[in-house]
Amino acid sequence: MTLARYRDSYKVDFAVVGSGAAGGVMARELARNGFQVVLFEQGPRLGPAQFQHDELSNWFLSGITNDPRVSPQSFRASASEPTVVSRFGRNPLFYARMVGGSSAHYTGNYWRFREIDFDERSRLGEISGTGFADWPIRYADLEPYYTKVDWEVGVSGLAGAHPGEPPRSKPYPMPPLPVKSSGVLFERGARKLGLHPFPAPMAINSVPYRGRPGCGHCGFCHGFACEFTAKSSTLFTMIPEAEATGRCEVRSDSYVCRIETNAGGRATGVTFIDGHKRTRFQHASAVVVCANGAETPRLLLMSESSRFPQGLANSSGVVGKYLMFNYSTRMSAVFEHELNEYKSVQVTRILHDFYESDPKRGFYGGGGIDARIGPQPAVWALRAAEEGPSWGSAYKARLMEFSRSMVIAGHGTSLPVATNSVSLDPELKDAWGMPAIRATYRDHPDDLANARFLQDRSVEIGEAAGATRLTRGPIAEQNFGLHLLGTCRMGDAPGDSVIDRYHRTHDVKNLFLCDGSSFVTSGRGQPTMTIQALAFRAADHIGQFARRGEI
Amino acid sequence: MDKLTATRRSLLQLAGWLGVSLAVSDWEALAAELHHESGNTAELGPSLLESGELADLEALTAQIIPTDATPGAREAGVAHFIDRALASFMAPLATQFLAGLRSLRNEVRSRYPEGVSFANLSSAQQIEYLTSIEHSAFFGSLRLLTVLGMFSNPSYGGNQNEVGWRLLGFQNDHAYSPPFGYYDKDYPGFHVSDGAVP
Repeated sequence: MTLARYRDSYKVDFAVVGSGAAGGVMARELARNGFQVVLFEQGPRLGPAQFQHDELSNWFLSGITNDPRVSPQSFRASASEPTVVSRFGRNPLFYARMVGGSSAHYTGNYWRFREIDFDERSRLGEISGTGFADWPIRYADLEPYYTKVDWEVGVSGLAGAHPGEPPRSKPYPMPPLPVKSSGVLFERGARKLGLHPFPAPMAINSVPYRGRPGCGHCGFCHGFACEFTAKSSTLFTMIPEAEATGRCEVRSDSYVCRIETNAGGRATGVTFIDGHKRTRFQHASAVVVCANGAETPRLLLMSESSRFPQGLANSSGVVGKYLMFNYSTRMSAVFEHELNEYKSVQVTRILHDFYESDPKRGFYGGGGIDARIGPQPAVWALRAAEEGPSWGSAYKARLMEFSRSMVIAGHGTSLPVATNSVSLDPELKDAWGMPAIRATYRDHPDDLANARFLQDRSVEIGEAAGATRLTRGPIAEQNFGLHLLGTCRMGDAPGDSVIDRYHRTHDVKNLFLCDGSSFVTSGRGQPTMTIQALAFRAADHIGQFARRGEI
Repeated sequence: MDKLTATRRSLLQLAGWLGVSLAVSDWEALAAELHHESGNTAELGPSLLESGELADLEALTAQIIPTDATPGAREAGVAHFIDRALASFMAPLATQFLAGLRSLRNEVRSRYPEGVSFANLSSAQQIEYLTSIEHSAFFGSLRLLTVLGMFSNPSYGGNQNEVGWRLLGFQNDHAYSPPFGYYDKDYPGFHVSDGAVP
């Protein structure tokens, strides 16, 4: 196999910015369709030999994530409240900064959205103070691409396991992962209540699949890259397959800081800073940005020019707005015997009985509930301190419950609110001299009400499962997000959206965006499956446009 | 590259990159190879604290995770971890933390003239004092660093002999196979629930 290498001055068909869940799919699909692609990634290319079971590094020192020491961010709850700058530890908008992006360190929960996620505004009506809207596409438009994700990226699960499951054209390619004690207890409790728990669909190999081994059950999924390559990260799946075409160059340590445009308002390529801090320019016929819900709007805002004074593709003023995190709750449960939740994947059983919003509850929202690891030792011990005695003998007694503990987690909706946003900080700069992200975020009251509702249901399940003690995690306004959604939303109306239903920006004909920023609504807490289905679909359409000369 | 790293690398390349599928028994062999390796590249800095400060810090961490029938922060070497962390990979926290520690030492000196230093107070006095500051920012940092020193990889200088992990019952193997716990041993298998979903 000869790896593609392109000179900066050579005009490639596509510059794809960001090599994560969406960018990996985009590069692979475009390259397989015969196009020449440079896939840009600001972070390094790492392999399994460099992945460590090191909580301190991954969760406290930004070992593989965007590091505030070089990429600081500021955060505020609203424009009138104080701005806090992060300079060490973990950024408020958190993502993996490496080839594979956050697909390298995700947990791998791969729920499909359901029909209602796309047209809920029509069903429920307006929600004042929000930009709650229908998507311009429907579940049926995405179904073939969800199936592609199942089979080509690799998802384990059990089709037909849930009576409310949306229609699917094919079963899963792999059986579910082996159930854990948390899953058994969760299933037992939920069934007692008449609910419908089912095996969690996970982007982790339960058996050897497409040249990768089955899971080794090491337990370090959430926040860690998989040393076994059993997790279906684009790093191990889409990206090597893109390279195998001989048409896709993966350019790591290359930080795209500007999309250039010409007098005709067309994108001409991308300016990037390479690993030697040299500023370079790559010519491209078209640009596809898949840099995530934080970095995609930031790149557009940094690409302002006299022709695009509010930022590129931002005639609507919507770029960066409607940021959504999803709200997740936790409830800690202790049982009589050992569970050893630190072993194996994070989640083996979930339920979607409370997926739909019910006006009778008095608020908008719905979600999924799952049983999970609670997570690895240091983070677990810090969370335990938030829930009860935080030092001394009583705290130590709680620590010794580690192996008998699990978490029941709720994953819910976030409403799109225009003031929740990614913008450029007017003062703060990163280590390359570029404007830092300023995040503004306050959960909508309905999001918090829904979180409390899901936590109440979690408590009921824990009680029915026979827990000896249940402790609620705090429900407070979030100042940290790792689902970064909605900031360049899709829509038919150029005045209130950034991209059209084919992911083309309304303002620039040869500029496309596809990642969590494309979302119109937040779904129920697990976005990556949908991000990748969108990427497969977008790549299909973009390829057709290119072949027909419509770019 | 030491031997274990070399072994790890070659095995993982075998598994992941050459597309060879390994069975569970292979993972167990791999786990045995990896068991004693918790390698990372943390560069441990020199000692930052004076011996009196270090003694007080040790006594403070020992009140957060005390030693009783089982080891606590003292046996895990948490104070040593914090000292080295502040001199190296957690240096951005050092100034604020040291200022907090020094003001605590001054306060103890004026409040408990008979003991003079935190380490020399009786356990009851130590608990009384810590209860009075448990909502302060310094105490929050102290607890964070104590937990990290107790449960991080031993290569960072704390969690010595894995006493923190042992306390929790965390095994630190690199691969496991089912059953994982008590409740999944006799799982009868999944069946689809009856009835419609609300």
